[in-house]
Formats: sequence, C-alpha cells, structure tokens
Amino acid sequence: MAIEIHLPDIGADSADVTEILVNVGDAIEVDSPLISVEGDKAAMEVPSPKAGTVTEIKVAVGDSISTGTLVLMLDPAEGDAPAVEPESTAEEEKPAEPLIVAKEVALPDVGTDEVNVTDVHVAVGDEIEEEQPVISVEGDKAAMEVPSPYKGKVTEIKVATGDSVGTGTPLLVMEFTELPTAAKPSAPAAAPALGQAPTQQPVQQLQQSVAGPSGFVDNREYAHASPSVRRVAREFGVNLAKVRGSGRKGRILKEDVQNYVKEALRILETGGGGGDALGLLPWPEVDFDQFGDTEKQKLTKIKKLTGANLHRNWVRIPHVTQWDDVDVTDLEALRKKLNAAEAEKESGIKFTLLVFVMKAVAAALQQLPQMNSSLSSDEKNIVLKKYVNIGIAVDTPNGLVVPVVRDVHEKDCVALTHDLRELSGKARDGKLTKNDMTGGTFTISSLGGLGGTQFTPIINAPEVGILGLSRADKKPVWNGEAFEPRLMLPLSLSYDHRVIDGAEGVRFLNALREALDTVREELQA
Amino acid sequence: MSDPIKAQVVVLGSGPAGYSAAFRAADLGLDTVIIERFSSLGGVCLNVGCIPSKALLHVAKVIKDARTLSAHGVEFGEPQIDLAKVRAWKEKVIGQLTKGLGGMAKLRKCRIVNGYGKFTGPNTIAVEGEDGPVEVTFEHAIIAAGSKPIQLPFIPHDDPRIWDSTDALELRETPKRLLLMGGGIIGLEMGMVYQALGSTVEVVEMLDQVIPAADKDIIKNFTKATRDVYQYRLETKVTAVEAQPEGISVTFETKDGGTEVQQYDAVLVAIGRTPNGKLIDAEQAGVKVTDRGFIEVDKQLRTNVPHIHAVGDIIGQPMLAHKGVHEGHVAAEVIAGKKHFFDPKVIPSIAYTDPEVAWVGKTEEEAKAEGTDYEVSIFPWAASGRALASDCADGMTKLIWDKETKCVIGGAVVGSNAGELLGEIGLAIEMGCDAEDLALTIHAHPTLHESIGLAAELFEGSITDLPNPKAKN
Repeated sequence: MAIEIHLPDIGADSADVTEILVNVGDAIEVDSPLISVEGDKAAMEVPSPKAGTVTEIKVAVGDSISTGTLVLMLDPAEGDAPAVEPESTAEEEKPAEPLIVAKEVALPDVGTDEVNVTDVHVAVGDEIEEEQPVISVEGDKAAMEVPSPYKGKVTEIKVATGDSVGTGTPLLVMEFTELPTAAKPSAPAAAPALGQAPTQQPVQQLQQSVAGPSGFVDNREYAHASPSVRRVAREFGVNLAKVRGSGRKGRILKEDVQNYVKEALRILETGGGGGDALGLLPWPEVDFDQFGDTEKQKLTKIKKLTGANLHRNWVRIPHVTQWDDVDVTDLEALRKKLNAAEAEKESGIKFTLLVFVMKAVAAALQQLPQMNSSLSSDEKNIVLKKYVNIGIAVDTPNGLVVPVVRDVHEKDCVALTHDLRELSGKARDGKLTKNDMTGGTFTISSLGGLGGTQFTPIINAPEVGILGLSRADKKPVWNGEAFEPRLMLPLSLSYDHRVIDGAEGVRFLNALREALDTVREELQA
Repeated sequence: MSDPIKAQVVVLGSGPAGYSAAFRAADLGLDTVIIERFSSLGGVCLNVGCIPSKALLHVAKVIKDARTLSAHGVEFGEPQIDLAKVRAWKEKVIGQLTKGLGGMAKLRKCRIVNGYGKFTGPNTIAVEGEDGPVEVTFEHAIIAAGSKPIQLPFIPHDDPRIWDSTDALELRETPKRLLLMGGGIIGLEMGMVYQALGSTVEVVEMLDQVIPAADKDIIKNFTKATRDVYQYRLETKVTAVEAQPEGISVTFETKDGGTEVQQYDAVLVAIGRTPNGKLIDAEQAGVKVTDRGFIEVDKQLRTNVPHIHAVGDIIGQPMLAHKGVHEGHVAAEVIAGKKHFFDPKVIPSIAYTDPEVAWVGKTEEEAKAEGTDYEVSIFPWAASGRALASDCADGMTKLIWDKETKCVIGGAVVGSNAGELLGEIGLAIEMGCDAEDLALTIHAHPTLHESIGLAAELFEGSITDLPNPKAKN
C-alpha cells in the first residue's frame, strides 16, 4: 500500500521546486533527499520520512508548493510497513500518523489594516471546535468574530482585549491532532462572492456599516477631472488630489492618471516602497551584444531577495563605516595552542578566530546596548534587546545567507563552535529553516578567509550594526622603541547613524578590543 | 411549487434602475433573472410615470400652442377631445416601449419571473406569481423595488375622486374642478394636462413657492407664465379632506390662520413618494432598511450585506429614473468585478410643464447656504431671436459660477424645451468647464441653447447681444 509523502513545515509560506532527486521505482532510505526546494530565505532538500519505493511523483520542477503539499507516493519498505501484527505496537504506526501538533492561529485578512480586540472568548486549556469564535475585533468598517481554523486545545493566548492587531498577528497557540493532510484554515464565506476581490471576503461579517446616507450627496471632490478620468482613477485607486493635471487649465487627463500610476509602480519596483522617490535618472539601457558576446544568467531567488533587502537597507539607512585594526597576535597564539590541545584530546573541537570575536562582540554589545537595538518604524523609539543573537553571513553556492547563533552572551566558546559548525553545515547544504535565520540582533560578516583589508558591510535591517572581519595580517607596529611585527585583524564596523553617534561607534570598537583581551585571559585561565 | 430558479444575479424590480442593472449584468456575461410583479417591464417610469405623462403633456402642449396661434392670425377653433382616443395614444406609447424592453430582455437571455418577490434568506427570494409560488436562489441580488406615492392618514384615499399620479394618468374623466395637493413636479405636470383638457386646476402648497427645490427667480418666472393654468394657494395647509356625495370638501388653513372650505370634483394627492424598502422582507436577507423604508448603500451601491446591492428610488433621493439607470449600471459592473463607483457630480431635474423648468448642479440657494463665492449670470430669452420667433420669449437661462475657479457649478432654465438645454450644462459641470470654455464654444444661431453660451459671455464680460455690465466704460 502506497503512502503519501507531504511537504513538511519548511518555515516559509511557499517554495519553488528546483529539482526532483528521485525517480519512480527508486528505492530510498529514511532521510534520503527527495526534492530540492527554494523558498524566500533558503534553499533546502526535503528528506524522506520513510524508507520505501517511489511509486509516483506528484510535483514538477517549477511548482510552487507549501506545507502539506503532496510530494510523492511511496510504497513503504517491508520493515517500515504498517504493523502487520495488530498488537505489536500502539497506534503510532498507522500509515497516516496522527500527530499532536501545536499551531499558531493568526488573524486572517480582515480587510482593514488594523483592528482592536474587543473580546477574547477562549481561555488557556479550552477545548474548542473548528469555527468557534475565539476573539471579537472591531475596525473602522466592521466588527467581527474571528473563528478558529482548527479543532483543538488552546495552549497559549497572545492577545488581550484592547490590543491593536493586524492581518497575520498571532492570536493564540493551539494543540491539535493533525493528519498529514493539514486542515486548511477556512473562512466561512457569507455567500459566493463572484467578482469580489478575496480581500473583501469578510471572515464573519456581523455588521458592515455603510457610509451612504439616503439621498444624493454633494460631490465636489474633483474640480478638474471629467467622469471618464474619475472612473480610471477609481479603478487604480488613485487619489486625484495628488495628481498634477497637464491638460488645459490644469485639468487632469487620463494620461496624467496613467503616468501617475506608472511612476508609482516604478518607485515601488525600484525599492523606494515607502514613497520616497529618489528622482533619479532612468537606468541606462545598453545593448551589450553590440560590443561582443554575452551570456545571460538568471539570478538565484536568494540573490534576488538578498539584493532587494540590501538595496533597501543601503538606501534607507544612513551608514557610517568605522575602520580599525586590533592586535590578535597573542589571541592567535593561544588559539593554536588550544586547538593543538583539543586535537590531542581528539575532541573534534577546533576554535576559529570568529568564535572569539563573537564572544567579544556579545560582551561589547552588552556594554553598549544601543548597538544591540532596533529603530521603531516611526523612528521615535529604539528597542533595546536584552539578548544577543548574532547573525553570521555565510557565502553559499546559492548566495548569501545569514544564520543566527542565539544567546551568544550565555554560551562559551565550545558551545559557540558547535553552533557555528552546525549552522554553516546547514547553510552549505541548503537546509536552513526560517527559524535558523530570524531573530538576529547584530551581524558579523567575515571575509577573513578570503583576503582584503577593509570593506563597508551593509547593515542587516532592522539591526543597527554589522561588523566586517578581513584577513588578519602581520603589520609593523611601533611599541615605543621599535617596530614590531604584530598580527593585526582589520575590523570594519558599519552602523546606523540615526541610532549610533560617531563617538559611540569608536567606543564600541574600543570595547570590542578590551573584550577580546578578556576572552583571551579567560581562555588562558 | 415549481422548480427553484437559479441565477448569478437576480434583480428585484424592472423599472429603469432594475432593467438597466439586469441588462448590464447580462451583457457582462452574468446569468440574470428579473423579478417583476406586473406583467410588463419598465416599472413606474414606463407604465405610470415619466412616459405616459409625457404623452399627455404633448397633447396639452399642442392644444395650448394651437390656442396661442389664434393671437397670430391662425384660428383652429375649439378642440374636440375624445378622451378614449387620447388614452389609446398614451397606451400605444407605453406598449411600444415595454414591448421593446421585453424584446431586449429576450435578446440578452435575461429570464423574467412574474410575481411579487420577497426575500426568504440571504440567497433566496420567494416569488408569488400567477402560476403559483417559485423560489429564486441567487449569488447576487440587486434590489430595485422602487417607491410609491405617499398617502396621508386624514385623506380618504379609497374614494375614487382622490387620485394619486397613477389614477390621474388613467384619464377616466375631466373633472370640472381639480385640486393638486402639493406643488411638486408630478402634480404640476398632471394639472397642466387636465387644464388643457378643460379642468379648472388649483394648486395648494405649504411653502411659498411651487417646485421648492428650484431657485426663486426661476419659479417666479414659471408662476407668472402659468398664471392662466393654475390658481395658486401658496403657504396654505390642507387641514381636512372629506368625501361628500357632491364632491371632495377640502379645508385650507392659510399662513395668517384663516380657514376656507372648497369643494372639488377630484383631488390629486402628489406630496411625494415613499420607498418600498419595507415591502420586500429585506431583513430576511439581513439587509438593513431605515425607518423611512430606504436601503442604505455605499458608493458601489452595496448594502450592508456585501452580495446584495440596491439601486433607484429605494436607496434615496432624488427619485429619478436617470439616476437609477446609472446606479443600475454601476451595481452590475461591481458585481461583474469592475472597480466602478457611482460618482457623478450632478443629477439633473426637470418639470415637463409648459414652460419647462429644468435645473442641474448647484442652485443659487445652495451656493449661498454653502458659503461658496459665486456669481450668477442670467440671459433673458427676450433678447433671443429664436425665442421671440418661437413665441417663448418669457424664458430665461441662468448659470451659477464659482468666482474663484470661474467654473460653472449650476444652471437652471425655464422656458420652452428647457429640459433639452440642460444637457450642455450638465456636461459642462462634469467636465469642469469654465466660463471661457462655454463662451468660446460656438453655439448655433438662432437657437435656444445659444442662451447658454450667451450667459457665459455675460459672466465673462464679452457679451454683445445685451448691454454689457462688465464693459470698461
């Protein structure tokens, strides 16, 4: 009997199938990779949860799939087949394993940006039915009850009456039994809505108040646009008050609306999403073939996404990059000594300079917590984080990824070495999950293995600082009497000047230098 | 019960708003059903409103013109009126139009269910028809159930001598003395017909002018031109109406408190119309109906229930066919997925009396009340060659301007064919025309619509057909 293999939770909403790694008829082992997928943040291989023979492949390269999508059919290997003897094992071995899973219930699309929680109808521990209202919300336009998409037990409630929530805000965590075919969160549609945009489909419409009074109301909204222009503006949602008319006597023409939309799209697509038009010249269009042979290569999905993020961060954050060298002669000597000792013990531990720097950075961040903060989106507050999670930029064949090492301030160099090895292994194999790449408070980009002296790393928003490491090199350093060859590690610290002053930037590097000494002293002890 | 009927869109009511919505929906590829309680399509407008009244007004106008001509040397003698034939002519006009509608419905594969429809749920309407009850289930509904004449509790409406507009249009007889209760458009139009046919017509109105929505100067002109048609009782209340064997006895109370009792052969009660919102069990579908029977909608004609729209008289004033038609189109387009809005700047109003009274956009009264910095320019038809030649020199064309933008924001015309002249003003307002645009547009000479260009020239200060108040010396 063939069993269904579904895409496990990959931490992303959807992913594209980039490669099928098995063929029908292949005999596969547990954990052998079945397909490769590429999501927003990571590329990964999907391992088989079972051993067996592939009988049918249900996806194709280029398909966009998501958690729960049927990937292939597998004829289970004998030893792994459903229990032949009924008594042998308990229920867990049914082909469609019921799993107890915890899932977050988030606010579905309510049609408005923000709504207020007016009532919470459930408590932790409640057993609730699918479609049972869990909270009431009230927005500008409507009040509604949000039904539960699942049947199960409430284990955590994440909102309280009075909270302001938006689409996607986590409301509660539920525990429930799930078959591999994940229950689809379904919104009870009031009625089939032909021609209505999906966003207008309310969750559970109790009362939608309409603004229209009975009777024709004055319409003096547009002094200078004819009915056809008004219609076109309505279709594109253009506020005519913002459109400059190029017609006779400043009348708004259809072309003005079209140009307005084109310009808005251009700004959006070139990354100025926040409405900050840069007013730049158009990008030069060059036919490169006229100068010689060329070859077109597609950017990987990761590269495209990284590019968009980097561009935004570069344009939106006023960067300052501070360079400095730090003397790591003694630290490097110690590192070699320690590694020799570990090798003798055959512990498998091999310290890198990066781990020491991470440890020191964590100490410096705790000393200067502004560097471990984020600017609020209204740019009125900074959020200081009491934890230190350091992202490490890793170069992979698919592009740049930044896995995050958590709670660096609480870990010793051995633990950090383990974490780092695990994460960089996952990164190279394309097995990082979304969870591995979120929650960072500061980033380190090490190009030390490759060379270079200094560079200007781009801040990984919403973090406010990033430290670049180049290759440590012997340099002559004046010791008061003579030049002495010392091993100098070049540091390139970029910070968000809206949050960090120049003096603070230098102070951070000084703190880092002292922290490196402390790390060395502690390791020596 | 017959087999239930299924439709993507069901339109309740086939007046101008309803059939426009249904035909537009069908043309946009939606499977559409019209529910109509009467055997012919067209609603009040075609059957007992706009169209039959215009047929009768045409008759009245020709009678009047023939009489007027005697002053210019052509004598026709007293008209011989055969009411039955007049009625037949009116019915023929109606028949032609409703038949046309039926044909167009067929062409569009719009199904018609005859009978009285009432909601039974958010997606169902039960129709009580001659062939028994039938259920219509729908994905979307457009309510176009219209309005009906207002009745007052102290009036014995069941007496055959108490008329509403529908009764008046039946043309059963020519009463000797006819009282119009209410000085609105419908009453005045019907009064004019009966006056031409031989009745003595009186108008009683509580306010100090008939057609209260129009500007005073316009109505003053109209009142003067119609002093031989109507006897006016302004600022007068009706306090009692009693049916007596010899006639309908009506008690009036004037502004100064004096009372007077008069007897009429017929009384036409035309004090307004009330929406039919409470007659269709809208609440069964969850649709909110106001105390006054209106259904509130948003700018896309959507009621509080997102898949149910409403159009026409039932959603509010002005209760005019042309407003309903446009609303019907938008509702159908929205259902078909278009991002359209009911978004006009102005809706024209016309009284098809003789002279006609027509206005669009801001009245002077409204501009004043809103504190708009406005200016008025009036071209009197006495200065129009065409008006003089057509014996309608007592008309006038009035334009209202925003002094700051120099754009036309309103206009009113009283006179022969005033309603036909209104189109240009409406278009000018929608297009944001200023005085120069209107003045520089060459209007044909001699025409009545020339008066619009000349009124603009007056405002501009470039007029030569009249003394120019804005000339330099």
